[in-house]
Amino acid sequence: MQRTTSRRPLLARPVVVALAAAVALTATACAKTEDDTADNKQSETAAGAEQKVATPKAGGETCTIDAYGAEKIDLKNATVGFSQSEKEANPFRIAETQSIKDEAKKRGVKLLTANAQSQFSKQISDVQNLLAKGADLLVIAPLNSDGWDPVLQAAAAKKVPIITIDRKINAEPCKDYVSFIASDFVEQGRRAADQMIEATGGKGEVAILLGSAGNNVTTERTKGFKERIAEKAPDLKVVFEQTGDFSREKGQQVTEQLIQSKPGIKGIYAENDEMGLGAVTALKGAGKKAGDVKIVTVDGTRNAVQGVVDGWISGVIESNPRFGPLAFQTLDTFTKGEEVPQDIIIQDGAYNADNAKQDIGKAY
Amino acid sequence: MTATKTDAPVTTASDEPADATAPVGSARSERLSALVQQHGALAVLVLVSIVASFSFDSFATGDNVSNMATGSAFLAIVALGMTFVIVTGGIDLSVGSLFALGGVLAAWGSRHGTLVALLLPLVVCGLIGVVNGLLVARSRLAPFIVTLAAMLGARGLMLAITDEGANTYLIGKGSFLAELGQGTTLGLGNPVWITLALFVAGAVVLRRTRFGQHVYAVGGNEDAAALMGVPVARTKIAVYTLSGALAGLAGALNAAWLASGVTILGNGMELDAISAVVIGGTLLTGGLGYVSGSLVGVLLLKVIQNIINQIGSLDSSYQLVVSGAFLALVVIAQTWLGRRRQLV
Repeated sequence: MQRTTSRRPLLARPVVVALAAAVALTATACAKTEDDTADNKQSETAAGAEQKVATPKAGGETCTIDAYGAEKIDLKNATVGFSQSEKEANPFRIAETQSIKDEAKKRGVKLLTANAQSQFSKQISDVQNLLAKGADLLVIAPLNSDGWDPVLQAAAAKKVPIITIDRKINAEPCKDYVSFIASDFVEQGRRAADQMIEATGGKGEVAILLGSAGNNVTTERTKGFKERIAEKAPDLKVVFEQTGDFSREKGQQVTEQLIQSKPGIKGIYAENDEMGLGAVTALKGAGKKAGDVKIVTVDGTRNAVQGVVDGWISGVIESNPRFGPLAFQTLDTFTKGEEVPQDIIIQDGAYNADNAKQDIGKAY
Repeated sequence: MTATKTDAPVTTASDEPADATAPVGSARSERLSALVQQHGALAVLVLVSIVASFSFDSFATGDNVSNMATGSAFLAIVALGMTFVIVTGGIDLSVGSLFALGGVLAAWGSRHGTLVALLLPLVVCGLIGVVNGLLVARSRLAPFIVTLAAMLGARGLMLAITDEGANTYLIGKGSFLAELGQGTTLGLGNPVWITLALFVAGAVVLRRTRFGQHVYAVGGNEDAAALMGVPVARTKIAVYTLSGALAGLAGALNAAWLASGVTILGNGMELDAISAVVIGGTLLTGGLGYVSGSLVGVLLLKVIQNIINQIGSLDSSYQLVVSGAFLALVVIAQTWLGRRRQLV
């Protein structure tokens, strides 16, 4: 009854599969060298596009290496591990990784990178790998805010300081991690609301394309937007909220549903550019014209700013992804034994019809 | 019927002594090649691991091996259930969602005690498995569609419990559940030992019990099995229930390890589990498969991922290309072997 009995023994099988493995490994080796040469071409960043720290709050909590319990090292001789959360299919992620790589190269620091491909379980093993490979310092762009216990324990055991960028890890600063560098997402939400109020005249029904669940960015961008609407334009009603997972396809799909269920919608707030661009595609597909539905997005990618120039998007709130310089500067200060702030908040620009054309060079 | 892995192919040799594709008559070489074939995936795993440990300093370190073991444990438990389903000729696409649901339920239930935290995911995910099984066996619907519906439904249920994923339930530090997930015994994480125990039990059930024989019989030839008095429907319901419950358990253990019910987990996990099972030598058409092969398949996937990480500087897009290429090559090799087998 078991087919086992009719199975033919074949010596060839492991040989073939082994060959497959060998081919795969050779392929990676080739890809590696290509990757290295590609790195030599540093991405050119337009003047004025680098991250600036917003005025540091007086009395903000700080952290020193003694308080954290690690040992001083010279950043130049250290190995830094960088764990990226999402696939580099989105301009924000591309610019972020590139910025970290460029800065490491500039400072001559050895950098190890990993990409979790938007899979949280992979990010956990990625960071464990970086630790196993001897990273002395870690820069993490977390996919999710919770679930970091195994990583934090492993890093603590090896006394490896962690800096998180763009999203937060829900843990104790200066104990589980050193500092968190990011934009003020609540403020981004508020500013997006301001743009939406201006574009729609403060009246009508608007929709929100939410980011992916389980991280502070989505929650805070939603919170800021709703607060400001409630406070400044009570006639503007949020009638539709659904997640577009920060992706263009999902943003388009959700907007298609939106147009059918709420044909009278006046504005769409997309919590990132990719979803906003998906919304534009959906609106075009539904036969709408530029400006019929006001779209406000957050990020500042080149395609979205071009959308502003073309009139499809009313405003883009910038969320600067060029974390390299600030992250390495923070690591440098910290490893020297000086104090660094626990929360480093960066200042973001904005694009609208007035400045989109001349500032498009700053977009990424 | 209770032929063990090693002696099964030997019977083959005596059944068909005159064979064109393998003219070697000596029993010893037949036995050797049979052994190699049975453990093909294992041979690749060993080979790749040896190459990797010579190529990368940090591959064969205790830390790395124990990380890989713990990281594989959860997928392995899911793949164990999947093996039973695939041996019956079915497929279970709902396991990724059930994994996420199980984790959230465990974290949510942990406030009512460890027992609730472990039983709730087992029962809920097991029941979804029962529904899958009933629809497949009694209503004769295609497993692909039934479990696809369950995959969407279970993820929706998970999102409903967590306010669209905005709420992440945490598991108290120092609780028994957290200790179960994060603690180590003899240098390996507790989830690894639990996984090994489940695999030993799974292997015994599949190879040594009447139920296991029924599973093979249903996958080999359903009509023939029914004529011989095998309870086909009951066997199918049982394997989908087992698969659901194991996915829930894996999710619960993973939540215990992460100390929180992370909502974004399990996307595409069903495909990883299916790949692992297929790499392990189980035929997608059913009737043939080994529990041990699935474990090896999971480890192989993990080792490949680890190697890609060891290389480090590889672009994220290339990483996908490489893992895709590797998988394709393994499956092509297997199809080719399968075709050769049919020619006999």
